[in-house]
Amino acid sequence: MAPRTVAPFGPQHPVLPEPIQLKITYENEKVVDVVPALGYGHRGIEKACELNEYPKNIHLVERICGICSCIHGISYCETVERLWPLEVPPRAKYLRVIYSEMSRLHSHLLWLGLLCDALGFESMFMQFWRIREKVLDILEATSGHRVTQSISVVGGVRRDIDAEQEKTCIKVLQEVKKEAESLINVLASDPTVKARTVGKGVLTKEQAILLGINGPHLRASGVKEDSRMLGAQAYSELGFEPIVETAGDCYARALVRAREALQSIELQLEAFSKMPEGEIFERPKGRPPANEVTYRAEQPRGECFYYAKGNGTQHLERFRVRTPTFANIPSLLVMLPGCELADVPVIVLSIDPCISCTER
Amino acid sequence: MPVMLPTVLRNLFGGPATRMYPVQVREPFAGARGQIEFNDDKCILCGNCEKRCPAAAIEINKDKNELVFYPARCIVCFVCAEACNKEAIIEVDKWRTPYYTKPVEVHTAKAKKDKAKENKVE
Ligand code: SF4
Ligand code: SF4
Repeated sequence: MAPRTVAPFGPQHPVLPEPIQLKITYENEKVVDVVPALGYGHRGIEKACELNEYPKNIHLVERICGICSCIHGISYCETVERLWPLEVPPRAKYLRVIYSEMSRLHSHLLWLGLLCDALGFESMFMQFWRIREKVLDILEATSGHRVTQSISVVGGVRRDIDAEQEKTCIKVLQEVKKEAESLINVLASDPTVKARTVGKGVLTKEQAILLGINGPHLRASGVKEDSRMLGAQAYSELGFEPIVETAGDCYARALVRAREALQSIELQLEAFSKMPEGEIFERPKGRPPANEVTYRAEQPRGECFYYAKGNGTQHLERFRVRTPTFANIPSLLVMLPGCELADVPVIVLSIDPCISCTER
Repeated sequence: MPVMLPTVLRNLFGGPATRMYPVQVREPFAGARGQIEFNDDKCILCGNCEKRCPAAAIEINKDKNELVFYPARCIVCFVCAEACNKEAIIEVDKWRTPYYTKPVEVHTAKAKKDKAKENKVE
């Protein structure tokens, strides 16, 4: 038997923007065992949410994650609104969809760039991030900030998109679509990319269901499951269909995210064309009543689960978030053993890990 | 490689995507959340902003007739500006430049003082 070596992968590693450690045991360059160690980035946000008054939490939950910040804020509002329950004006629903999809678009473009970076395809990495910058610019022009948009409040949204901004958004989105399509074409047909991703880190449909995987990771294994199918906000009116691939390897996961990025542009354009005129905010009456609710939101990385318990005061009695990466980490224990050591970064990246989300 | 050719050619003949920062600075977008400024002439120390601020960046000291603002704590959410009924908080789209020591701004609420004086005269 060849000698076994244990090497730490992380908490500081070039492919990991955030701290997670994987203790990897390998034998002749083949991985035989993986033990993840978490807890480097815990900030106690859930507890802080109970101490804060409920409207202030929007700004706190937005800081759970730097990329899905906008969707965290929107989902928190959706959850708290369900305590009454409260109906937001139709235009606000559409605006929430537009902002959610815009975050998904920039998150997926970011991930595609990171994938190229992990593969050593530096120029492509820059190309993806270059077009992502346009999306961030329209986010800043409409909401006021490129990362923490703080657009949602309990009862609606804070800022409207006027006719002129709408025109700019549509123009930029069409440009981004054209450029993204050509880049994705290159990525999907490049032989080196294929050699590094096809057949690597395979997760079968049965394993994915057994482990409770979610998001693009699950859809790449052939399961048609997306929280947007539930039709919250305005998704029911937009004819949303989830994107599914069946291979379950790194290549399939890249394709799902690439196609979702394009789909998200389509959804935004459709939302712009269907968006009704009218109010964007309705002041909630009184305090959140004593009630218990749950809410499922589809974030760029997968399904995020929210739980809130009100007690009739300005504070929430309990607030809980289960983030997508938390559910996706167990899949690494199935995908990594048996792979080459050199494939570890790509496979770890292929679940789109967001550790600050996971540890909150 | 041929599939990448259009992108390569576009980049070859297009200019750079970056700017010569800090020589060239992009103008902020209208409505961008840069920083807040206080208009002391209008503030009546009602305390709306202090109550709503999610970052506890505003402290009101009614005895001294002062509003203390801690810019280093401020997350520039503009909640205070929306909460202020007297338009005493101005939304500015230019961001603050970095600082070495955390600044503390002490504002004396003039609108409030005037009122106090008036009351005394009466
Ligand atoms: S700044 Fe506005 S909200 Fe704050 S104390 Fe003064 S008047 Fe009230
Ligand atoms: S902008 Fe936000 S964080 Fe800053 S003082 Fe106003 S309410 Fe507080």
